[in-house]
Amino acid sequence: MSRKDSKQTALISRRSWCRAAGAVAGGLAISPTIPSLGVNSQEPGATATLPTFTGPSANSYWSAVGPIVSEPQKAPLILLTDRPVQLETPRNYFATAFTPNEAFYVRWHLDRIPNAVDLRTWRLHVEGNVASPQAFSFGDLLRKFKAETVAAVNQCSGNSRSRLQPRVPGGQWGNGAMGNARWTGVKLRDILSAAGMKSGSVQVQLQGLEQGEGPEGLGSKYFLKSLDLENSVMDECIVAYAMNGEPLPLLNGFPVRLIVPGYFATYWMKCLTWIRVLDKPDENFWMKTGYRVPDTPRGTTRPEAMKAGGVKTVPIGRMPVRSFLVTPDGSAKIPAGMSVNLRGIAFSGYGRVTKVEISDDGLKTWKIAQLGEDFGAYSFRTWEFAWAPRTPGKYSVAVRATDEKGNVQPDETVWNPGGYLWNRIERQEFVAGNAE
Amino acid sequence: MKIHKLRITAGIAVAALLIGAALAEQRLGSYTTQNTGKIVQAKPAALAEDSEYEMASLPSFDAELANGAGRAETQIYCGTCHTPRYITMQPPLPAATWEAEIQKMVKAFGAQIPQADAQKIAQYLHEHYTPETRQR
Repeated sequence: MSRKDSKQTALISRRSWCRAAGAVAGGLAISPTIPSLGVNSQEPGATATLPTFTGPSANSYWSAVGPIVSEPQKAPLILLTDRPVQLETPRNYFATAFTPNEAFYVRWHLDRIPNAVDLRTWRLHVEGNVASPQAFSFGDLLRKFKAETVAAVNQCSGNSRSRLQPRVPGGQWGNGAMGNARWTGVKLRDILSAAGMKSGSVQVQLQGLEQGEGPEGLGSKYFLKSLDLENSVMDECIVAYAMNGEPLPLLNGFPVRLIVPGYFATYWMKCLTWIRVLDKPDENFWMKTGYRVPDTPRGTTRPEAMKAGGVKTVPIGRMPVRSFLVTPDGSAKIPAGMSVNLRGIAFSGYGRVTKVEISDDGLKTWKIAQLGEDFGAYSFRTWEFAWAPRTPGKYSVAVRATDEKGNVQPDETVWNPGGYLWNRIERQEFVAGNAE
Repeated sequence: MKIHKLRITAGIAVAALLIGAALAEQRLGSYTTQNTGKIVQAKPAALAEDSEYEMASLPSFDAELANGAGRAETQIYCGTCHTPRYITMQPPLPAATWEAEIQKMVKAFGAQIPQADAQKIAQYLHEHYTPETRQR
């Protein structure tokens, strides 16, 4: 439909609405009190919907602007794309430290996502540069190994991509491409020991059941990620068969998913089926070209520098410190003088969050928020702060976190062509109304 | 008698206005017929005690691509690997960025798009999805 057409349709529908309203008014002689009940032709109380897209300026909403949809085994979530599936977790689910499985965000790269897994034939294969290749059944993982549990945040590398200026192509996430869960499973080191890595091993390559329509040997056929064996995170990785004490939803990686505490989700292979020990570094698209960030402080650069060339890049790694104000969400006025409980979460891929601070004077002064229970270095940490707007007006409340390594959330923006690593201080606007 | 009746009517009218004013302040019972898009509840699946763990087919939602020359080529070639929502989800992007995306699909991902059709797709994206041209 052209723009002109849609304008005409809008005109016609408005006219027919007026005609219908006129007929009702003429026939029923509506009393003068009815408009005050909100029933009039203007529909003043109608909820305005979000635009269908944002840009070229930054997305100003907390979440992506997609519609809410239902997908198998999931609560209603925000749709980014339906094939392959990308779904964002709505803001309200971050009011607690753990994100429910059914609300956990979803991000696949290729469109042939498993709709079913038969555990009679499914095996977790350990192959490549190993002494004795292994194939473990789901039952083997449950029975033959010691179970380990870790609380860890899974965040998409491109979470908050829609904030970047200039905008970059990719999944236009708001802030909801993240979640925190208790992951239970087998230590990756225990699985590798069972196969016995041979000398000369440098990386482990991870492959799940997901496949694409592209030709063999390209990134559009298989999604593959690798971790350096000398990386200390190898000792913390878990092959998880349980998420918050339950089987994983298929869209989140049933039967098992790799947990890489502190690292961005790109390494957390879903439906993990092949663990391949490599004797030379992985050069597949998803390591050599995809998910790389400038080797600069905070991974930030400018489009001009990229165009000029010579910006060295490295594979994305740990998640920088972030914090979010979750509730109240600013959608309702607060009576001036009333104290409200601001609540949210914070996390860092570099270790425990040690401090969360609030500013309501444009970052000039900061007040310390109270931290919630500590579920471990890589978990969401909840925080709360009693805040009272003194007089009617508009307020901007900022929140920033500090981790145990001394990393403080900055107010500077981030830009890189992949749209990764955004961790700028978040702000929430509040309107205080008159209480008298 | 007549005067008395008038007074009562006037009294009722004033009372009605006062009630109306009070209701207006609190905006009771404001309904709208707009935005009634609904999400249906899924019926629980019948489960068998076997080793197969499955989920229902994934829903496919319509994404409306703008009308115009090149729309069919865009739907067919781009749609081989992904829904057109990958296009409509993006912010308005400069023509050069769309060009680079097409090149990435062809070179890095092996999309089999004949040169002439790739040009049609580029032209279509320029005409409908750049900061200067995007309408919806």
